Amino acid sequence: MLESFIPALYLAFSPEVIMFVAIGVLMGVTLGAIPGLSGDMAIAILLPIVFFLEPAAALGLLTGIYKGGMFGGSISAISFGVPGTPGSAATAIDGYQAKLKGYPNKALNTALYSSVIGDTSSDFVLIFLALPLAIVALTFGPVEFFALYAFSLLLISALTKGKVAKGVAMAALGILLAMIGRDPIGGSLRLTFGIPELSGGLALIPVLVGIFAVSELIIQLSKAWMERANRIMDDARQRAESLLGDYDASKDKLSFAEFRSTMKATWIGTTMGTLIGALPGAGSSLAAFISYGLAQRFSRNRDEFGKGSLEGVAAAEAGNSATSGSTLIPLFAFGIPGSATAALFGAAFILMGMTPGPRLIYDHTEVIYALFLILIYANLINLVFSHFLLPVYSKIAMIQSRILLPIVCVLAILGTFAAGNSVIDVYVLLFAGFLGVVLRMYNFPLAPLILGFIVAPGAERALRQSLLIGRGDWMHLLSSPIAIGLYTVAAIMILTFTLVLRDKK
Amino acid sequence: MFHKITTPQGAAATAIAAMMAIAPTLGAASPLSNDPIRLVIPFGPGGGSDITARVLSATAPEFCGPRIDVVSMSGAAGLEAVNFVRNAEPNGHTLLVTDYGPIVTSGFVDDVDWSHEDWQPVMNFTEWLPTVYTRPDHPIQTIEDWVEAATADPGSITFGHASPLGIVHLPLVLFEMETGLENIHVPTSGGGETRSLIMGGHIDLGMTLPASIASEVASGELTALGVFAAERSAALPDTPTFREAGYDVVLPAWLMIIATDEVPAETVEYLQDCFMEALASPTAVAMSSRVNAGIEPLNAADSTELYMATVESIGNILREIGEID
Repeated sequence: MLESFIPALYLAFSPEVIMFVAIGVLMGVTLGAIPGLSGDMAIAILLPIVFFLEPAAALGLLTGIYKGGMFGGSISAISFGVPGTPGSAATAIDGYQAKLKGYPNKALNTALYSSVIGDTSSDFVLIFLALPLAIVALTFGPVEFFALYAFSLLLISALTKGKVAKGVAMAALGILLAMIGRDPIGGSLRLTFGIPELSGGLALIPVLVGIFAVSELIIQLSKAWMERANRIMDDARQRAESLLGDYDASKDKLSFAEFRSTMKATWIGTTMGTLIGALPGAGSSLAAFISYGLAQRFSRNRDEFGKGSLEGVAAAEAGNSATSGSTLIPLFAFGIPGSATAALFGAAFILMGMTPGPRLIYDHTEVIYALFLILIYANLINLVFSHFLLPVYSKIAMIQSRILLPIVCVLAILGTFAAGNSVIDVYVLLFAGFLGVVLRMYNFPLAPLILGFIVAPGAERALRQSLLIGRGDWMHLLSSPIAIGLYTVAAIMILTFTLVLRDKK
Repeated sequence: MFHKITTPQGAAATAIAAMMAIAPTLGAASPLSNDPIRLVIPFGPGGGSDITARVLSATAPEFCGPRIDVVSMSGAAGLEAVNFVRNAEPNGHTLLVTDYGPIVTSGFVDDVDWSHEDWQPVMNFTEWLPTVYTRPDHPIQTIEDWVEAATADPGSITFGHASPLGIVHLPLVLFEMETGLENIHVPTSGGGETRSLIMGGHIDLGMTLPASIASEVASGELTALGVFAAERSAALPDTPTFREAGYDVVLPAWLMIIATDEVPAETVEYLQDCFMEALASPTAVAMSSRVNAGIEPLNAADSTELYMATVESIGNILREIGEID
């Protein structure tokens, strides 16, 4: 094994490969920051490049895009409240509040550091613990998955103090929206009202961007119109105002003490992200939401969550980034693509003539070792690049909304269209936007709705598969110790924390 | 940028490709313009259809003239891609690359405004042979074991497959129709989930295509029980067919390039010729074997025959199980 390490070292650190990783990171961050566009899409578009590049260079480029995109999503989540990628939906909750309070740079830096910490730890887990963790992941069948989904929904719905009923209602609405389309088990159509375009269900990107972003844009826009009507009398004053308003960049620096205060949240995110990422099919957005929920439960400043807490940003961002290494675990250990990204990496391996699975590392030791090295150092490149770019991004975030809003709006529509090459998705985006406005006006929390929408297809499939396998016996759902454990933890947590919260009042 | 354009060549390469195309096809004037050819797949990127289509998009521009893009449209369970091709200008520049699911099965069960006769195959890439498999420590290891266990305790064996009525589910339906056996059908989100449920011991059997399990079967990490085909699969030479075991259940899934019937016959012929020429080139053959695509092209006439036969057999199965009248 060790004799392959030296050539792998040369391979991974050849100038060409380093250059491709750097290009990839830059592309990923930029694309991830555009709402609707994600690293996955760029990887899909660039997949044929493996026909033309050396394997290490091609994998370097794809890895760079993936990691950059993972972090890039948080830039627009924090700057505009628009999750750039599904994984960064949880980051938007506190990140955007932080920006509204005037410290986007702190939030962005928190996101960057927690993202890099989560990602790097997850890569080490992939390299050293892939097989044991993959075996654990395989013990997750439909019964266990349903317990995990139920756990996550309860955790997030009961998050906001005094709004538990509204949270549960929103999760239910999310599940209802996700049920539109083809029934995953019987194949019949549900809730499509005879509209053939709905038979594939609502796509995630337009719902996500619509609920979070378009609704925010509509509200901002109406505010801007109101203000404009007021200000039109005082034209001169408006012209004198600088492009950036009264944003003071010098006060918006992340201090070491603040960074340290987010470490607990970062490690919760890292652990949950790595574990959930290793489960085939669970995904980065679920990891981010669960990390966010747990970090809030265990935080000393629980009440700050949802109001711009840096811990909230750290937990969500570490949670989604920590899936990036471990999502490849089922692919490396068993050839099972556990996520869209893993499927694309799997396709890249196949196009290079390498079959994903346990033989991969023995048959192509050098390239895989080089990939491992790239996985690690791509994080450093991401850290360095983003460190220098963040001040620019923070300033962009604070550009006045009358200039920024139209740009974000156009990007959101284009990005949504590009994600599925579908005009229907654009209508869904606008509809979701108006729904978001109504929900915001009546103070409904949006996170449970999105989580409900994200986990519903998997949860329904898991539930119905369990019942099929258990021949209709509901007790089959309690046939696994892992499931019983998850239900117990959920019950205990909800009980204790509801009681603790009540005592404080 | 805002289309899922998946060819590596840029605009400059298009010009070069166009120039190179003049040489081999000088005799017959091309009915195509310089606009790119779009191969629309009704699935997400990264799967078998995508990978196979990319072999063509990487090699055919030299023979056909224009650049070739693979465009992925998985919306509305694939029907969006089908409608997109249906509504595109019938000039041979927008073609569908699909298995029989989104076109033959959907044409029967979904509310669509086209019929099976509104399409004409241009070429067939390959035939995929649905294969039943399990883990090596499972008591069922052969077709006979399966039939025996299902006869002893009907409705006790759990069988994982991707979406209902898809290409790795209908063969099971047909097998049960022929034998009267009963299994518990467990739909999954796709091949990856089926496989992790089997390997984790959550279900008994599953169905997939040979390329995705060939190396695991060779190394003994998975067992392939049987193939629903007339002949054995080249990727799984030691796995018997169901026909060999005495059950005449054959339902391979093709992967075809399909145009609407409004595309002129000479355009279809030109495309057929240049695609087949490209796939016979040494580069394409090498690529195909590297990605395990098993490309064995059929021309338009043979593909049409295969297409019509599939329409008939799928129609019969769906009528039998009461999905359609």
